[in-house]
Amino acid sequence: MDAAAEQKYDFDVVRWFSVMAVVYLVVGASVGVYIASELAWPVLNFDIPYITFGRLRPLHTNAVIFAFGGCTLMATAFYSVQRTCGVRLWSNKLAWFTFWGWNLVIVAAVITLPLGLTQGKEYAELEWPIDLLIAVVWLSYFFNFVMTIAIRKSSHIYVSNWFFIAMMIMITYLHVVNSLAVPVGIMKSYSIFSGVQDAMIQWWYGHNAVGFYLTGGFLGIMYYFVPKQAGRPVYSYSLSVIHFWALTFGYVWLGAHHLQYTALPDWTGSLAAAVSLAMIIPSWGGAINGMMTLSGAWDKLRTDYVLRFMIMSLAFYAMSTFEGPVMSIKTVNALSHYTDWTVGHVHSGALGWVAMIAIGAIYHMMTRLFHTEMWSVKLINAHFWLATIGAVVYIIAMWVSGIMQGLMWKAYDDYGTLAYTFAESVEAMHPYYAMRAVGGAIFLTGAILMLINVIMTVLKSSSEGSLQQARTASVSA
Amino acid sequence: MTSLQEYFKTDWAAMTNSDWVGTILTVVTFILMVVVYTYVLRPKTWKRLEKHKHIPLDDERIDSGEKNDG
Repeated sequence: MDAAAEQKYDFDVVRWFSVMAVVYLVVGASVGVYIASELAWPVLNFDIPYITFGRLRPLHTNAVIFAFGGCTLMATAFYSVQRTCGVRLWSNKLAWFTFWGWNLVIVAAVITLPLGLTQGKEYAELEWPIDLLIAVVWLSYFFNFVMTIAIRKSSHIYVSNWFFIAMMIMITYLHVVNSLAVPVGIMKSYSIFSGVQDAMIQWWYGHNAVGFYLTGGFLGIMYYFVPKQAGRPVYSYSLSVIHFWALTFGYVWLGAHHLQYTALPDWTGSLAAAVSLAMIIPSWGGAINGMMTLSGAWDKLRTDYVLRFMIMSLAFYAMSTFEGPVMSIKTVNALSHYTDWTVGHVHSGALGWVAMIAIGAIYHMMTRLFHTEMWSVKLINAHFWLATIGAVVYIIAMWVSGIMQGLMWKAYDDYGTLAYTFAESVEAMHPYYAMRAVGGAIFLTGAILMLINVIMTVLKSSSEGSLQQARTASVSA
Repeated sequence: MTSLQEYFKTDWAAMTNSDWVGTILTVVTFILMVVVYTYVLRPKTWKRLEKHKHIPLDDERIDSGEKNDG
């Protein structure tokens, strides 16, 4: 059957996207651990501008979100759309264009961001020529995916593909609008928005990137790969439909909750907070739907380490999608905003949800794409525990430091004078920043084990000739 | 005035156009979400949708060249 699938589908580009995703996970997490260490021990800046926190932080976010996350989304979307539609990609050549184009974007980011060439917009730092390249490459991915669905053999479009399409539509729209700028040089431009409108556009983009790219796209992964790995259909297909429409209806409203207590009109923040709270229902419905797919077969978790990644990711998804709406409420936001609590929240979503579901999906695909078992199941198990413990240590450190920061900044004495200087709050954070760096390093260790395991599996497949056999067998079948 | 009445007390005269737009959009979004929930949760629709849940597991069948209903 694997040989037939090898013959029937275009898996070469999926193999490359999958392996590169793991490489970028290690690169992105390494930069993350380094900048976390810089915050704990500033001497690590070494007075070299190219490696200061301000330059490397966008490199970290771009590497993990767009390099690791992007390659994962492209690998899984191209893999699952072929299998659920029963046809090969509409254009294999266009898929390779997407692969090389996306990697060119990543190389451009690695060069320009440490040089300080940035638009200064969070999660959209890259300058205008790279923005244009992103738009072209993204559209090639979008077009190829939609055309593959258009030529499908199945009558129904499976729900994972709905999530991928929603992501592709929204990211196109968000990227184009948020990146509108007036170029004044080859690597310098100014946004066409200014003041509070710029802030509103930025967070409309920022939160919807979270909503449709890091949530919608990865839910597409979840709805295909959890049932496949578990060998059972999703617990409720109807619930997945509700999840999709509620998420699509709801997420676009949430951006303004990043701008509570700013110059933005008050009602926008209230609207965003109200819809954020409403989003708990579909989000938890989706998380429960994914977990309950294992209903009656929970014993699989004792032996299937890949499934453990996926189910743990859903637990983090449920936690993050409860925490986020709570933080959007003005009363809580007054304490949490601008503190490390936000950083902790982001990483419970990024490390716990996004990375773990991606890692599970990549492990799932590796054995099927290279037609051999993973080189070491023990390493997958070690990776699972390192990823889980690393994420938890990181999140706890940021929860404690964030709440402490908020309380220290708000404390004042009987005369209305602030009880602490800002520098005192920074000093108080040191142990938690060190703890965060340790948590990140634990997570990174797991990612390195994954990369070793993936490389060894590719080599194992090569030495066994299993991929070649699958290709040959399929030809003679 | 009870604390609940106090909590929900609104100065309607002070509502600006933007306040009204925000309020109406919030209510309309809420209603649309209720409509989707009601539609999907109808037993007839529910049953129809559940038929598609096996697609990822049936991709081996699709591989063989058979079409699922189409």
